[in-house]
Amino acid sequence: MVTITIQELTKRFGGSVVLSSVNLQIEAGELFFLLGPSGCGKTTLLRHIAGFYTPDEGKIWFDDEDVTRLPAHKRGTGMMFQSYALWPHLNVAQNVAFGLEERKRPRKEIEHRVAEALDQVKLDGLGSRKIQQLSGGQQQRVALARALVIRPKCLLLDEPLSNLDAKLRLEMRTEIRHICKQHGLTAIYVTHDRDEALSMADRMAIMEAGKLVQVGTPTEVYRNPATRMVAEFIGETNFVEGRTLRESSWAGFFDVETPFGTLRGRSNDSTWQPAPGQPVVLSIRPEAMTFANLTDSPNRFPGHIVDTTYLGPTVQYLLQVQNGPLMKVCEINPQEIRPPSQEETRAMAGMNDVVILRK
Amino acid sequence: MSKSLSILIFLVMTAFFACFFAYPIWAALEAAFRGPDHKFTLEYISEVFLNELYREGLWNSLIIAVWTTLGSLAIALPLAVCYVRFAFPGRALLNSLVLMPMILPPFVGAIGIKAMLGQAGALNSLLINLGLMDAMHPTDWLGQQRMLGIIIMEVLHLYPIIYLNAAAALSNLDPALEEAAANLGCNAWSRFWRVTLPLIMPGVFAGGTIVFVWSFTEMGVPLLFDYDRVTAVQVFRSINDLSGNPFPYALVTVMLVFSTLFYLTSKLFFGNSSASGGGRATTGRETIKLPVWIGWACTAFFAGVTFLAVLPHLGVVLLSFSKDWYGTVIPHSLTLEHYHDALGHELTLSSIANSLKYSALAMLVALILGIGVAYVSVRTRIWGRQILDAMAMLPLAVPGIVMAFGYLAMTREGQPFHWLMLGEDPLLLLVIAYAVRRLPYVVRSAAAGFQQVSPTLEEAAQNLGARPEKALWRITLPLVAPNLVAGGLLAFSFAMLEVSDSMILAQQAAHFPITKAIYSLVLSLGSGPNLASALGVWAMIFLAVTILGAGVILGKKLGALFRG
Repeated sequence: MVTITIQELTKRFGGSVVLSSVNLQIEAGELFFLLGPSGCGKTTLLRHIAGFYTPDEGKIWFDDEDVTRLPAHKRGTGMMFQSYALWPHLNVAQNVAFGLEERKRPRKEIEHRVAEALDQVKLDGLGSRKIQQLSGGQQQRVALARALVIRPKCLLLDEPLSNLDAKLRLEMRTEIRHICKQHGLTAIYVTHDRDEALSMADRMAIMEAGKLVQVGTPTEVYRNPATRMVAEFIGETNFVEGRTLRESSWAGFFDVETPFGTLRGRSNDSTWQPAPGQPVVLSIRPEAMTFANLTDSPNRFPGHIVDTTYLGPTVQYLLQVQNGPLMKVCEINPQEIRPPSQEETRAMAGMNDVVILRK
Repeated sequence: MSKSLSILIFLVMTAFFACFFAYPIWAALEAAFRGPDHKFTLEYISEVFLNELYREGLWNSLIIAVWTTLGSLAIALPLAVCYVRFAFPGRALLNSLVLMPMILPPFVGAIGIKAMLGQAGALNSLLINLGLMDAMHPTDWLGQQRMLGIIIMEVLHLYPIIYLNAAAALSNLDPALEEAAANLGCNAWSRFWRVTLPLIMPGVFAGGTIVFVWSFTEMGVPLLFDYDRVTAVQVFRSINDLSGNPFPYALVTVMLVFSTLFYLTSKLFFGNSSASGGGRATTGRETIKLPVWIGWACTAFFAGVTFLAVLPHLGVVLLSFSKDWYGTVIPHSLTLEHYHDALGHELTLSSIANSLKYSALAMLVALILGIGVAYVSVRTRIWGRQILDAMAMLPLAVPGIVMAFGYLAMTREGQPFHWLMLGEDPLLLLVIAYAVRRLPYVVRSAAAGFQQVSPTLEEAAQNLGARPEKALWRITLPLVAPNLVAGGLLAFSFAMLEVSDSMILAQQAAHFPITKAIYSLVLSLGSGPNLASALGVWAMIFLAVTILGAGVILGKKLGALFRG
């Protein structure tokens, strides 16, 4: 189990900068997520840690060992590839045994550990199968066993669940997290699936255009997104543009002037206070909006419902706010479903759920 | 395309194969196994193994085939690895140049080799000039080591087939498969042996099989080296007393058995898809930048191999321009006379015309058949389509000399196909022989095209009201046209330089194609070899232009055509 430290990492492909001065520390035993839209550099960063790329600038440390120039085969990481990269000329057991053979373990030990690893991923007895005879889910488990059996310093996962169907994906989320925690593994997991990240991560980094935009726990990132991009990427949200009026009578809350009235909210960052007159963006999650009457909140959105979407567990409404934007409002399995109508309907949001972002 | 039309195509193809592929082989086998009393006999076959001369021929053919295959592997594998993995100066250009030998007929190159390695040839002159050899006792390089000469000639001709296969297999390999090994602690060297090589083996062996069968049955090179102790040449020599002599048929049968056995073994071991390629690539492969001097070493390696391979043909070019080339490193004086004479010589002009006629017709036949087979096997789900596809690839495994004897056997007087002889004109037979033997290239090329063009494009046309045939004509055919052109060009150019069928089936000078004309010119006295060289240069230019054309049209997919 190692602590991974990344310092000022920069990488250019051709003329374009794919990673730009990335600084990051991943603690020992942490399940860390790299999250971002495609092309943001998250896989490139992972491949630097695995040793498949050498940075143009910057350093990578495993504990206090500088591994920046260490070739991939000497790093001792265990990687799960998006395509699984299982070797079609070797059977299941031979695939799993490969890393142990490279480490020149005695034959007895290899057999024992391969069986143990296959057992752990629930593939016991399938050691002599050919790779082509396995289903996608089974192949994914072989890839996991192959990476785990060497007892890696850290586990690297490159969108490991993207080729599975929805149900298997849910199952494997729990299982991968369980295995990582059971072994106390430092693990870095690349994905563009926010649900995967929110449900599994200890901490995560959101990347955009080769830069880290925010690093934090799922709760921190979801509740206090650093930028408009993060707020939008990590979940559905409504944006309202406005201008700070003043600090409100409630400590820590600010009044913001918008085209349809004054809203009260909190800053996304405890170290930053919006100054009066400063243009800001408010982020309000659909599930924070309610048609109930919140007596202690000044945040009212008068308007009418233009669209209703029934999603089973939730119902999503599109609310046309008077003199304001279209806003999403989400209700959890309500008794009564409101149809679209011209009738005036008022939604509200708690002061804590209105998050003020720098513009 | 409607189902009935597919079935019609299937039946026509099957009938054609039955008549012109299976039946001739059967006819050759029959002649080998049927005694004078029309009863089954093993006498001729066993005589092949008992007769010392025949046994020696077979043994020598095997030795030549084994060493040619090993030699080609030794050259082609490192070349392919360098090309796919590393960036070095001149990489793109050298990748094309290194393929050149394939289009240079080794049969013609042998003339050049003889001019350079003969007792009064360029090499000896160079050594004498340098004072390394006694002018009174020049070494007879070819006299002593003719078999070595043949092997070198064939290696230098055939290595591109393995190179193309290996390079294609390497670049199709998902880089993640190697990265996974590196990630698990495997260094570059052991990664190559444990992961890369096993995974590209099917490709390498597919190429190796073609090289083996090709060199095992090669007739042109040993003929020009005057080396009679290989089976193919023994067969050719016995052609004159063919009527009633069963031994050529028996020899040909033994060759067929050896080739087929080898082909099947390699299919059995490496043909099953379990160890092929390993799926789509998920990450791009980056070529590794080498330190300057290693990069230049790669460049030198490529350039050196190309130069060696082209050397014999440089000899041919020099010979075709030379007034006299005897006892000097390069010819004393140059002349265009031979080109002029070549165009005036009765044999050359008629042979060029003949070859153009035979090859163009053969290309047409191969294209029609090839498109049919490829379409049925890629686009339809009718029963037996894989069998059809496999059948169309079989000519790769069957030596040309076997087919040639099969055609001879099936058109003997009294046989049902005797009319194909058209009296003494080999036109029909040669066209069929060329077409059948080059069919695999056309089929692979067309099939690759059909696989790339999604059937939904055609369905969209049908959805908008086009009849199925019209949709095929207006949508799919234009899209696969480059593949068809490339396949056709390959079929054409290989037909132009085909040796074994041409030597055996064309018996009268008036019907000689280019290759047989070159051979008979080499044998004639005086300026014969120079004339032959001039004719050979014409042929090489022809071939270079067509294959480069095919390469440009097909791009990287050229390699896909040479897989067994």
